[in-house]
Amino acid sequence: MTSLVSAKGVSKHFGELHAVDNVSFEVEKGKIMGLIGPNGAGKTTLLKALLGLTDCQGQLSVLGLDPFRQRKELMQNICFIADVAVLPRWIRVSQLLDFVENTHPNFSRKRAEELLGRTKIKRNSKVRELSKGMVTQLHLSIITAVDAKLLVLDEPTLGLDIIFRKDFYANLLNDYFDGERTILITTHQVEEIENLLTDLMFINDGKIILDASMDALPDSYVELLTSGEDAEAARRLGPLHERDVFGKKVMTFENVERTLLEKLGELHTPSVADLFVAKVKGAAA
Amino acid sequence: MTQQLALVRREIWEHRSIWVTPTAVATVVTLLGIAMVVAVAAFGDTMQIDIAKIADVTVPDTVRRAALAAFLLSNTFVFLIAMWFLAVFYCLDALYAERKDKSILFWRSLPITDAETVISKLLTVFIVIPLATFAAVLVTHLLSLIIVSVWMGIEGANPGRFIWGSVPLFDTWIAVFTILLAIPIWLAPLLGWFLFVSAWVKSGPFLKAILPIAILPILEFVVFKSWTLGMAILTRLRLETMPIFDFRGGAAGFDEDDLHAMLAEDISLVAWLDYGSFFSSIEVWAGLIVCGLFATAAIYVRRYRVDS
Repeated sequence: MTSLVSAKGVSKHFGELHAVDNVSFEVEKGKIMGLIGPNGAGKTTLLKALLGLTDCQGQLSVLGLDPFRQRKELMQNICFIADVAVLPRWIRVSQLLDFVENTHPNFSRKRAEELLGRTKIKRNSKVRELSKGMVTQLHLSIITAVDAKLLVLDEPTLGLDIIFRKDFYANLLNDYFDGERTILITTHQVEEIENLLTDLMFINDGKIILDASMDALPDSYVELLTSGEDAEAARRLGPLHERDVFGKKVMTFENVERTLLEKLGELHTPSVADLFVAKVKGAAA
Repeated sequence: MTQQLALVRREIWEHRSIWVTPTAVATVVTLLGIAMVVAVAAFGDTMQIDIAKIADVTVPDTVRRAALAAFLLSNTFVFLIAMWFLAVFYCLDALYAERKDKSILFWRSLPITDAETVISKLLTVFIVIPLATFAAVLVTHLLSLIIVSVWMGIEGANPGRFIWGSVPLFDTWIAVFTILLAIPIWLAPLLGWFLFVSAWVKSGPFLKAILPIAILPILEFVVFKSWTLGMAILTRLRLETMPIFDFRGGAAGFDEDDLHAMLAEDISLVAWLDYGSFFSSIEVWAGLIVCGLFATAAIYVRRYRVDS
């Protein structure tokens, strides 16, 4: 496999604050990687470093380029949507298309027009006249029309209603992802993207606390639903995290033999959200 | 090239004042011209207006040309002042607006360097704003002359001879165009400073740009008992001190009598400008270098700031 992103010992400090702390990971071509972390975990700082929007320490390579020093070349092959990367409110849709067409060598106006044709967005509307959902549709249409190798999405559906959120991810998969392209996505609404992801990375306090493929998760992590004396026995096996559900105990285990757990209760593969809570709280405990 | 043109076009879309201001000034000046003609028509016996003398056959051609050039220039001064304000406020907003409306990350998501973006702002203030103002001046001059021609025709005189056959139109336009281009070059250090402030501050760019300009000369006076910086700033702010003007440095400066006297000798406005003095002026080049340093600092700030 080819690594599109390679980070070795990457750090970013703001005075005493270690926003990203000695992080190493790789993202391979054709993957949909979810980067999950609580507020202030360092997600956005890490994404900014990947996009060349901020300098950092360590070795960071994206598409074989140094993101900060070769940002222009990098941006020809990367697109990103961030909740803070809002489209200018004063611009008309047609002006936006003209601008991107004249500044981005890999942008297809025809493709963008085709994608916008499926929406209710008028070409002479100003961005300020569009609803938040329509603005996101417009932004997605533009970046989908760019022949980019890597798409970075930072909370792309924040503030959208459920219909727009579902449409957004459906369009993303149907129009953008072709198995060759790569997507790196962060969101708080983990449940919505869980089924899209091929790989998963958790970040907390600037450190990566999980980096695995979705296929490998059931082999390493298991959730046990138990109660009574079985719960006591399970607790001795060192669960990552424990919570109460309807009077029963739900325990999350990492790298514990399933055969040891099977006799103590029901086994499930944890959801990404539950696993995230277990990893973050487990690390804090 | 295509990319830079697109960036400049974005400036025109975003900062509508670039064309709205000259258009508004042109409209006001033209309406005032119409009002003047109506007033002359109504109270012609009691009003003394120079333009009325243009149709006097006893007036020498040089004086007629001088009167017409003075008439056009009087219509132009307000454009120069408006452009001065436009350039200043454009620079204060140029790199601040994209942070204020939070669109900076979108612009930075495109394959455009920070240097290319800042260069497009400089091209706008040094070329596009003077061009837009010049276009409005041309239209205003033509409309004003048409209004006067109509009035003259109604009065029974021949505007073809007394107006269009006499007016030094192209000479005036070349001179005005030169002055319009010279203004931002002369103001370059201040415009560079304003551009830097617009990239740098989190809020209130106007106040933060003006305060040091006001306070530093006072500090200089308090500490060194001198006004060197204050005088340097004041000199930049006064357009008549630009080394493009031949009369610059005269004790009395510029006044309307000088203008009439010079034009009465049939001296063209273009000959009245001193290109050599302008482009060999240390003040001009020093100002451009200061502007370049501030623009470089603006690029650096846009590139390295982490709150964008």
